[in-house]
This record gives sequence, structure tokens and C-alpha cells, in this order.
Amino acid sequence: MLDLLPIFAQQIINGLVLGSIYVLATLGLTLIFGVLGQINFAHADFMTLGAFAAYFVARATGGNYLIAIVAALLVGALLGSIINGTIFSPLRNADETRPLVATIGVSVLLENTTLAFLGPVPYAFDSPYSSQVIRMAGLFFTAQNLLVVVIAVLAVGSLYAFMKLTFVGKALRALAQDREAAGLMGINQKQLIALTFVIASAFAGLAGAMLGPILVLTPFAGASVIVKAFAIVIIGGFGNIEGTIVAGLLIGLIESFTTQFLSPGMSDIVVFGLLLLTLAFRPTGLIAERREENV
Amino acid sequence: MTSTSSRWAFGSARWLWLLGCIAVIAVLPLIFQDSYWRGVMTICAINIMLALGLDFIFGYAGQLSLGHSAFSGIGAYTSTVLVTALGVNFWIAALCGIGAGGLAGVLLSVFAVRLKGHYLAIASLGFAVITYQILVNWISVTQGPLGIYGIPSPPPLTIPGVVTISFADQQNFFYLVAGAAVLSYLMLYNLTRSPIGDALIAVREDEISAASLGIRGTKWKVVAFGIGCAIAGLAGCFYASFIGTLVPDAFFILESFMLLAMVVIGGRGNLWGAVLGAVLLTVVPELLRGIGDFRLITYGLALTLVALFLPGGLSGVLIQFARRFGGGARGALSAKGPSHA
Repeated sequence: MLDLLPIFAQQIINGLVLGSIYVLATLGLTLIFGVLGQINFAHADFMTLGAFAAYFVARATGGNYLIAIVAALLVGALLGSIINGTIFSPLRNADETRPLVATIGVSVLLENTTLAFLGPVPYAFDSPYSSQVIRMAGLFFTAQNLLVVVIAVLAVGSLYAFMKLTFVGKALRALAQDREAAGLMGINQKQLIALTFVIASAFAGLAGAMLGPILVLTPFAGASVIVKAFAIVIIGGFGNIEGTIVAGLLIGLIESFTTQFLSPGMSDIVVFGLLLLTLAFRPTGLIAERREENV
Repeated sequence: MTSTSSRWAFGSARWLWLLGCIAVIAVLPLIFQDSYWRGVMTICAINIMLALGLDFIFGYAGQLSLGHSAFSGIGAYTSTVLVTALGVNFWIAALCGIGAGGLAGVLLSVFAVRLKGHYLAIASLGFAVITYQILVNWISVTQGPLGIYGIPSPPPLTIPGVVTISFADQQNFFYLVAGAAVLSYLMLYNLTRSPIGDALIAVREDEISAASLGIRGTKWKVVAFGIGCAIAGLAGCFYASFIGTLVPDAFFILESFMLLAMVVIGGRGNLWGAVLGAVLLTVVPELLRGIGDFRLITYGLALTLVALFLPGGLSGVLIQFARRFGGGARGALSAKGPSHA
């Protein structure tokens, strides 16, 4: 019998890398839901556009991946600001399904416009780190994989520091707890909500720049990740950042293990089965924080 | 309203509308003789059934389901596997398809009753993804992504000594599906005008107030999902035997978004709005086919704009228009749309 231990260890590494991508993809969704109680369905396409922005900038600058990452961040931030201004801000006091439906439309629109311009053939986005393979004790991963994990840790860390240490972060948390009371304390809701969208969507752009070289870069790259990202947001508890991180890594691990030991298609069934079980038995998510809000 | 009869009565104006619709359905295949447009019309009737079921769930009961195509997929695969693998008669298989769609809807609503708004939206999306993956991976039954080919059309109906209706004939098949669409409409119409409709709307508008009046939200959500998804199951049976091949991609979540677009653009909480949306979003893209395949771009743009600017959809606009310019159409255009806060 083959020794299973290296396979296990390798799958744990793969799972953590995939989980880090999921965490990056979900942070923005969680942030928007936590502060605003809304879902931006076009988040996936912000990732895709971030990935393409990174791809084209990297090509134009002769493969400078760092500038490409910055470009993806900026594109994400810009898109976030636009979607807030055109959809979430005008529909602030509307029935909560309206912004969701509107962003589903935006998502379909963006995906197919990208498809019309860039075509369905996958783009080969080679980050300079993709080809550097690091071998350690029989395990291997690329420098890009390592970079993804590092960036995810940095992103989570800076979001934490921002939320806990800065005054604006404190104001955002106040807004998430009670929008009216926060308003009465002189917090400018409009500006803060706009800022939330900019930060959240910049994370989407960043996630795109990270997953571009790892997954297949097509106009549907973001969409292939986003449905799982929604599952992660719920399993982690809507709007709960700690829960999102735990759930993101967990789903990454589940996916890499089911792909190794069962089949790639099974991973979706396991992940979404877990989602439905969570909703049925623990709708507040793995780490309960905001009780009684979803029932 | 000039009508003095109770709201139960199917008033004379409505009989006229119904007869008009039947006349239009009867004439349509005579006007459009070529098989391409007859095919579009049949798909349109199937989409009308799907949109009606979704409108019942989303528009009336207020439950945002993003996985409606999964239920038509469940109906389609149930009936097709019964027909092709087990040799069951199509009509019995279709009944099983209806039952399977409805049961799946009830199953989802077991989760849905505890959830609302975004949680339900994501749960139904997850349900659709699971269904899709099962269709792709359960190869021994569904043939996986390769699909099932050569699905026969429904067997001919024979009234001994009088007539034999063959459904291999496109015109008869269209009449069959259109008839089912009309029956679905009439059933939902009467349901929504009955106390059941009032209960659903009460749950949609304010579940807690409804509960204080003795209306159990849980029960009515299950009813709405069961009925809406059973209709989707039947639509799926027709789809499979009309197209003749069945692949999982026909029931991917994008298809659910298209159905949502039909309901939202037509105007939710308003059955004829769903019909309008289904007709528009099926026929207009076919007309635009000449300028390239912009079908999905148009869908996306229209969905966004309507959700932003026309909360009542196109039917909402027409109702306002009718109210302003004369009361004659009021009876026919009465609506019980959601209050758009």
C-alpha cells in the first residue's frame, strides 16, 4: 500500500491555498453583509475584472506582477464605488430583494460583456512566481501558492487592524451594530457605506489578481468561485469575519480532499450539502455572533 | 368596479379574456408555419409555466428562490429516465415528474421556512448547484454531461373511432404545452384569488402580523413551493420530450436567473406580468438574433434597469397607465403586487 501520509500532507497544503483564495474572495462579501445586510451578486465579476486588469497590466509592464496586483485593487475599488453609487445607494430603503436582483442583472451583464470582448478561450496568466516550485520534505508548492497564503494573511490582518484600531473602523462596526444609533452619534452613513464598498470590492480585485494565475482565467473565473464563496459566507455566519476565515479554510480543505479521494464533482455536493445542513441546524453559522437576525 | 358578483366569480370580462387567449393560441401555429418559430412558441409556453410557478413563490409568497430551474430539471430527468430506461408511459412519467418537482420544492421549503430574504436566496442557489452536480455526476442514471439522447415525443392520444392526436406533430405539441400553460395560469389565478392567495400575501407582507391573525407562514411557504415547483416539474417533462435531448447544462443556475428576470421584468406578484415577461424574454432575443448573440447581455441589462427603476415591472407600468387613462381595463388588469417600500 502506498504511504498515505505525504498525500494527506500535500492535500492539506493544497486545501490551505485554495482556502486562502476563498477567504480573499469572501472577505468583501462578508464585510458588505456585516455592515449593510446586503449581498453584492456582482462581486464575482469584480474578481474576474480584477484578474483581467492584472493580466493586461502584467503584460504591458513586461510581467511586473506587483504593479498588476495594485491595478487589480484599484479596478476593484472603482467598481465597488460605481455599484454603490448606481445600485445600493439609490435602493437603500427598498425591499431587500431589489438590490440583490439588480446585482444579479449586473453580474449577467458584466460576464457576457467580458465574454463578448475577450472570448471564452482561457488566458494564460503566468505570474513570475507560478513557475518557481518549492520542494520541502517530499511536498511541493509553487511560490505563487505561498504568495496567495501570505497575501490572504496580510489582507485579513490589515482588515482586522483597520476595524479594531482605527476610528473609521470603529465607526463601521457601530454602523453594523445599529445603523440608526450610529447615525444619531454623528456618523456619516453615506460616506462610510461608500467606503465599505470600496474596501470590499478592492478585496475582490485582489482576489482576482491572486486566483488569475492559479485557476483558469476566463470571463467566468469569478463565477466559478463565487457560488462557493456564498456558501462560505453562510457557513461562517453572515457578516462574521472570523467565521468566514474558518469556513473558507475548511471548505478549501474539504474540496482538496474530496477531489483527491472521491471526484472533483463531489466537492460541490459535499460543500453545498454542508451549506444546507448549516442552514437547517445552525443558521447563525459556525461561529454564532448575530443571533436571531436571519429567522 | 362595476362587477357586483363576489370575488370568487370568474366574471364575464375574464371569460372574454380567456376565450381571446385560447383563440390566439389556436391561431398562432397557423400564422407561423415554419418549424423554427413553432419551436420558439413551444419554448415560450414552457417558459410561461416556469415563470408562473416562480411568480407564485416569489411574487405572491415573497420567497426569493434562485434555483427554480433545478425543479424543472428534476421533473425532466425523472420523467425522461422513466420513459427511456424503464419504458413507462409518458403520461404516467409526466405525473411522476410533477410529483418529483413538487416534492423537491417541499424539501427545499423545509429549509426555507426557517429562512428569509438573502438566506433563502443563497440556500435555493445551493440547492440548484447540488441538483446540477448530481445530474452531472450520477452517470449511471443521467448519462452525466453527455446527456440523454433520442427522447421520444409523447405517445399519440387516441379517442377510439374519432381521432388520433400525434404529438410528433409540432403543432399538436404546441397546443399540448400551451394548454398546460393555460391550465397552470387558471389554477394559480383561482388560488391567488382564494383565501390561500390572501394568506400568501399576508405572509409576504409581514409574517409576524400574519401569525397574529392565525396564518401560519411555515405552512403557506411549503404550499407555495410545492405548487410552484410541481408546475416547473411538468414544464421540465415537456422540455425534455420537445427538445429530444437532455443535458444538465439546460438547468444550470444561469437558467434560474433568466426565469427570475422574466418574473421581475414582467412584474412580480401579478400572474399576467409573469406571462408578459416570459413572452418578451423568449421572443425578443430571437428577433435580435440577427445582430449577434446579445441575448444574455440584454437580459442582464434589462433585469438591472427594471429592478432599479420599475419595482412593479412592466405590468406595474401598464396598470398605472390603465388607472390613469380609463377604468375599462381595470377589471382585467387588477393586481395584487407587492407593496414596494
